[in-house]
Formats: sequence, C-alpha cells, structure tokens
Amino acid sequence: MTTTPERESDIERRLRAALSARADLVQPERLAPLAPVVPLRPRWRSPWVVLATAAVMLLVLGVVLQGLGRDPRSDDVAPSPDGPRVELPDDVGRGWEPTTLSRTPRLDLDGDGTDEKVTFRGEPTEGYDGRLRIETTLSSTGEEAYGIAEVGTTLDSNALDPIDADGDGDQELVLYFDDASAVAGGGHPLVFDLRDGLLVQAVPQDPDLLRRGQVPVPGSRTEHYEMVRIHDYWFEDGTLWSSRSVNAYAAGNMTLLRPETVVVDAWTWTLDDAGVLQPDDAGCLRVGLESTQPCGDDTADELPYVSPVADDTFGAGGSAVFDVGYRFTARLEAGDPATLVIEGEDGRTLRHPLDVTDPRVSTTQPTSVMSDGASFYVTSAADPSYAQVLVQDGDVLRALRPTGEVELADDDTTRTWLTSNGALVTAVAGDGGTWRTWLWQMVSGTEMAALPSATVCFDDPEDPATVRRC
Amino acid sequence: MSAGAAGVGIETESSVDITELYAAHRLSLVRLAVLLVDDLASAEDVVQDAFAALARRPDAVRDPSKALAYLRVSVVNTARSAQRRRRTARAYSPPHDLSPPSPEDTAVLAEEHREVIEALQRLAPRQREVLVLRYWSNLSEAEIARTLDISQGTVKSTASRALVALERAMQAPASTGKEER
Repeated sequence: MTTTPERESDIERRLRAALSARADLVQPERLAPLAPVVPLRPRWRSPWVVLATAAVMLLVLGVVLQGLGRDPRSDDVAPSPDGPRVELPDDVGRGWEPTTLSRTPRLDLDGDGTDEKVTFRGEPTEGYDGRLRIETTLSSTGEEAYGIAEVGTTLDSNALDPIDADGDGDQELVLYFDDASAVAGGGHPLVFDLRDGLLVQAVPQDPDLLRRGQVPVPGSRTEHYEMVRIHDYWFEDGTLWSSRSVNAYAAGNMTLLRPETVVVDAWTWTLDDAGVLQPDDAGCLRVGLESTQPCGDDTADELPYVSPVADDTFGAGGSAVFDVGYRFTARLEAGDPATLVIEGEDGRTLRHPLDVTDPRVSTTQPTSVMSDGASFYVTSAADPSYAQVLVQDGDVLRALRPTGEVELADDDTTRTWLTSNGALVTAVAGDGGTWRTWLWQMVSGTEMAALPSATVCFDDPEDPATVRRC
Repeated sequence: MSAGAAGVGIETESSVDITELYAAHRLSLVRLAVLLVDDLASAEDVVQDAFAALARRPDAVRDPSKALAYLRVSVVNTARSAQRRRRTARAYSPPHDLSPPSPEDTAVLAEEHREVIEALQRLAPRQREVLVLRYWSNLSEAEIARTLDISQGTVKSTASRALVALERAMQAPASTGKEER
C-alpha cells in the first residue's frame, strides 16, 4: 500500500475525499440480508453464527454454488456474462463457382504436418459481395471440411498468413474483412479454426479491440472534424496482435492530425477452447511510421511539429521566388494600400491589395491550408495581432475567412505562426501553463478552420522552438 | 480446514478460510464495489459473487495473504461485467432496480462530493477503476497493475488522463459528458 502523497493537486484531494465520503455511506448495518436466491445465505447475517459454523457454511456454500451454476449472475473471477458464442457454418454453397482470382492458401489445418489446400467458392450476387464457402480436404482423414466467410467481396479471398492462436500445433486460416467504406481503410481479421470437421469462425471477446482504421470517439464530431482513435492489427511470428491509440486525434477534411509516433495499448490474441479469441494485455507500444517499440518509460506521443518558425518575410518593395509546386514570383508594391503582385510561370498575373498597414508577406507558403496554387501568410509590422491567409482562386487571390472553434490571432493567449514546412499553427492557452495547438486547413473555397493537434507546454510561449511535453 | 459430503462439498486449503475472509473484508469490498457500480444492491451482489467465485475455485488462492488481492480482482472484474450488462442491457433481466443511486444512498453526501462522484460515474470503466484503486484503496501503481492486469505504464497514463477527464466531466453538464479513455 502507498501512503497518501504529501503533494496532491486539488482534484486529487477532492476525489480522495469524495470517494471516502461515498464509501463511508455504506455502513455494516446498511448491508442488506443476502440474496433470497441463496436460501442458506441468511445464516451469514450474524458474524457470530458465521464464525461458529464455518465448516457448515463451507459445505452449504458448496451446495448453493452448485445450484447457482446456471445463475445468470456472474460468479467467475474473470466473468464473461455477455461473452460471444461461435456459430457453426451453414452447409451452403456447394454449387457456387470457385473463385479464380484468389490465392490458394496452404496451411496445416489438422496439425498432421501436411498442409491442406484451401479453395473458395463465391456466392453469386450482383455486387460480388456475397459469402465465400471455404473448402478443404483434410490430409489426416481425407474428409472434407468447410466454412463460410464474409470478407466483403467474392472476387478475392483476402487470405493472410496462417496463425496458431490456440497453440495446439495446427494452424488457423486467417482472412480479413476489408471495409471499403472507411475513409482511411478499415476492417478486421477473420480467424477460422478446424473444430469437429468444420472451419469455424472464431469470435473476438471484444471486437472493438480487433479492428483496423480510424474509430470515432462517440460525441466528438464537430462541423469540421471528429476525434478518432487509431486501431490496427498485425501478425508477428504466428501471433495475432492488435492495438488502439491511447489518445484520439482530429480527423477531417481528408486529413488525420496524428503525430509521427503514437502511443498505443496493445493486445495479443489467443483462441480459447470455446472458439473465442481472447485479448491478452501486451502493454504499451510506441508506433512510429517505420518502427514499433515497447514504451518503456516513455508513454507519451511524439510532440507535433510546431517549429522552426518561418520568420522570413518581405514588405513593400520586396519580393520572393516560390519554386515548389506552382512556380511564381511575388512582389509587394508600395502604396495605400500596398499591392501583392503574383507572376506565375504559366503567364498569369494576379494583383491583390493588402488592406493592412505595413504588411509582411511570408516567403513560406501556408501549404497546410492550401497547396494547389499560390498561397500566402500575411502579417503586419504595425499590428502584431494581424494574420491573414490568401489563396489563389483562378486569376484572383482570396482571403480565407477563419471559421470553427479557434480565432486566427496572435496575442497573449492565442498565438499563431507559420512553420518552415508550411503548417499554420495556432496555440491557445489553457490551464496550468498548457497550450492546445491547432492546425489550419482550408474547408471551403472561402473558409479555413483549425483542427486540434495536441496539448503541449512551452518553456517560453514566445518561442515555439521551446515546445515540450507538459 | 476441509469440508465435503455426499459429493457436493468443496475443499479449501486449510490456510484460506473463506468465512474469516468474509467477516473481515465484506464491508470494505462492498465499499469498493459501490464506488464502481454506483448502487449498494449491485455492490453487494458483486461482492457476494466474488466470494462465491473464491469458494468455487479453492485452488485459486493457496496463499492467505493473497486472498484479499484475489477478491479485489474478482470484485473489479465482476463490477465491470455488471456495468457492461447494465450498458448493453442485452436480453438481461436485472436482479435489482438498477436506477441511479437511491436518495438514501446520496442524501447525506455533501454537494461537493456528489459532484465528484457523478463525474466519476461518467468516466470510462478503466479510468474509474484506476482512480478508485489509487485514491480510495490507496494501492500502488504496481498493485493496481496487477489488479487490473495491465502494465504499470498504462496505470500511470490512465490515471493521468482520468484526472483530466474527471475535471472536464465536473465542468460539463452530465448529459454532454464524453467518454474519454
């Protein structure tokens, strides 16, 4: 046991006090007599009776518990009252046409050391989205085994490498359901185990933990984004793994704002005797774009890229060459107002008055907002809080109107800057020295909105390069 | 001690006396359960089930010093199942009225505490378990990890996020509280 920490936050103190108060409402005299479904439990009302008749009670308890064997209440240490049940496959599809585009899996389904060849027959439907009949002849007995799968298509079997999820020495066939409707891909694996001569599809104890794709956090949808957790599954040395990001990330506008390395909770899956895939906690992983490692002591996501700041600008009389993507030159003609002139390599010339005193145009384009043409981030040497994004629309430049939850401003509590890789970032001050960073995206022809990216701290809020975890 | 007769009795290791455990720990376990399942009736059921599970599996605990930890795991797991059943309400006939805490349950709970408890009820199950085990049971991170069968790192990160979520839940109306993990 630990002792109460000397330095606790206010919320910790309040929580501790509230829990104690709530628990203390339960006094011995308020405990109800034991459930009437157990006839002998009332004997336990008096601890004296209990203590005096311990052996009798144990005997009785044994009787009672046998009687409770089918009681709907859980009395298992690791209960699964709503546990899934496997379903035996229907013997249908003998006459369906064999699929010809599928790879033919070969694996040792019966564990006799000889691989079985698995073939598929597709249920004829107009959209090629019917069921698959899985067939094989067992090398050990010569008998046919079959199963039924739904993988979203009959054009392919979607077979993956086999696994031995129950550790019994034979292999399980693995297919996957491909969710073509998911924005960034989704689906889940299907594991088929040979049981009593049938290829029976295993059912996950918790299907939400065994899937791939971006899974929305309920209630998080806003006009421009929703928060999602990243789910994945994969295979390592014959073992099925899955993961779910600890944090949720903003997804919208065909973009997912995730750091390059994210922290996930991981599970390995084993097949139990009932045909249920059971998740085993595999701890915390840090998943990068190219590698995955155990968290160790580092259980936080990688920081978002919010620096270095692109602070090179030009003012009236200045110019810059933009040679990435749409190639053009831009110059700022002095005047009242000053005029931004763009001359594209395609021969177009655009002129746009800047209605602000002493404008400054960044030599870096805000490509996170718009990259399909010229775009500019404009500030003012006379007004530090001023910020504007201009984007090309044919032969004109338009100022995008900020919309959504965050203002495009640069002041003490809302700081905005452009990074050297073209990300337009706004950081909004939160409690306890934290800042929430947002990344701007163009959401319509005339508007842009910021999507949340992370909560960070700064050693010096004036300097984004001092970003750190909180 | 062992007991058995007519083929229906159970045997226990002599060092694990369920009766003594029951007398000694029922109240504290019911208190733990009530923090996890909200109402007293369900909490008592959860604890009853935990003892029943121990009685059914006498071999599960041979070391008496680990019996309480075993029962605690059982209570947490059973409470989670009860909560899951309550949420899904799938063809399930509840043994008790599963309405929110009764007036007598909360009547004497100060407003400041009620606000926290109600926010706690809106957290994800794992977050709630970690907070209860840490701030009421006063378990160490290692003990919580063993109880919940998760890593210490997960305990730490879950606790941290749970406190943030708790504060948010306290600031947000109950009807709009989001589940955060």
